[in-house]
Amino acid sequence: MLNIQTRQEGTASVVSIQGKVNFEVTAQLRDVIRETVATVQPKLLTINLEGVSFIDSSGLGLLVAARNSVDKSGGKLHLCCLPATVKKTFDQTNLTNYFSIFATEQDALRGS
Amino acid sequence: MAKGLVLVVDDESPIRDILSFYLKRAGYQVLTAANGLEALAEMGRSRPDLIISDLRMPEMPGDELCKRVKSDPATRDIYFIILSALDGTASRIGGLALGADDMIPKPFHAQEVLAKVDSTFRLIEMQKEIKRQNKELTTFQQRVQEEMELAAALQMGLLPKLPGEVTGARYTHRYLPAAGIGGDIYAVVQLPGGCTGMMIADVSGHGVTAALISAMVKTSFENQVRLGGGPLDWAEGMNEDLCRSTLAEQFATAWLGRLDPLTNRLRYVVAGHCAPFRIVGGSRGGLQRSEVLRGKGFMLGLDPQLPFSEHESEFLPGDRLVLYTDGLVEVEREDRSMLEEAGLRRICAELPAGAEESADVVIAQTRAFNSPVPFVDDVTLVVLDRME
Repeated sequence: MLNIQTRQEGTASVVSIQGKVNFEVTAQLRDVIRETVATVQPKLLTINLEGVSFIDSSGLGLLVAARNSVDKSGGKLHLCCLPATVKKTFDQTNLTNYFSIFATEQDALRGS
Repeated sequence: MAKGLVLVVDDESPIRDILSFYLKRAGYQVLTAANGLEALAEMGRSRPDLIISDLRMPEMPGDELCKRVKSDPATRDIYFIILSALDGTASRIGGLALGADDMIPKPFHAQEVLAKVDSTFRLIEMQKEIKRQNKELTTFQQRVQEEMELAAALQMGLLPKLPGEVTGARYTHRYLPAAGIGGDIYAVVQLPGGCTGMMIADVSGHGVTAALISAMVKTSFENQVRLGGGPLDWAEGMNEDLCRSTLAEQFATAWLGRLDPLTNRLRYVVAGHCAPFRIVGGSRGGLQRSEVLRGKGFMLGLDPQLPFSEHESEFLPGDRLVLYTDGLVEVEREDRSMLEEAGLRRICAELPAGAEESADVVIAQTRAFNSPVPFVDDVTLVVLDRME
């Protein structure tokens, strides 16, 4: 089970995720991201991965799709607070260079 | 149209008559019997949907009738309502304990009985519907199961035939899909001039979708290889293919390599995939030096514009190449630790001679490390030995 929280910070939406992001829970996360992008149309979508203990290929796919859909609607996707294990997965798949990644949530909200 | 068949059992004929009258007027078919024995005789001729029976009767009382009906598998599903002058909770519980489905206390209003009969028939209809749907679902499930088994067999057919052999090298694989069918695929292709083309890929997700894309990845690889060029060209071509033909969240990590036996060089591209191991002199068996064939690159299918880069390594006669997918090393044990690349590298550094024997050892040792946690993702392992 994934714990997902969303909140609004000005024109930015923040989605915080806790738990293991794998095939079983991507549907749940996909719905939240889709709904946030559709209803709020945020200029900036920040996804805080601080509480994520593991992410598999389906989870990565979801994030890539999220970036593409935010791009299309003229917004930006920032990721922040990647734990070491998640960082390793991102490095291995070279996604570190595909996403804008920030150390803290404040940086992610400030960063452009 | 008749709503259903009710068997009324009572030794008092006025009661049988009243109930018959009301039930028939409401559209039910009605049979009557004066005691349990007569009721059983009636049931031998036609099967009622519902029995309304008095408790105290000569020959065979209602409780005995109820017991017989409910203990016979052929009649067990017939609804049984006990009609009893013994009012109060005690007799109610007693009646239900006999296996009756409901009770109506005497004296009763015919309307009350009718309402109960109506609600019982609604229940009967619902149960019939559930049974019907259940049967449909079971049939459907069986069909899906059969199709999955067929698809799994077809997918196994996409893998190279074993024992695998190309000029100057022998190889084998172990393929363990998580859900009967999976998103892992690999290929070893003989190229002109004694060269060998190799590919291992892991499609995101599981199941049928991943399996379909894995077949697409294999076809794409074979098409690219046919065009000539090297791993960098193949990766770029496959990336375009996948970007064009897959949905938003679907992509593949892959490792692509080309071995030239004349120059002893292995050129390769890492596309977000686990870096393979080169075990120097590994085909001889025993403890040997190992190298990780590292490289950085995006997964295939993300974006057609993304660049890839090619790397190169020495690969000598007698060397061994170990390709794998992350399912082999990413099993979280009860203590939350995982084998990871370092653990697998330790296992691969000391293996027996012979690709088959080595593959068995690798699977056995990774299983032993993870035990009792099973593999949760698709697992593919390929061991390729370059002959001396």
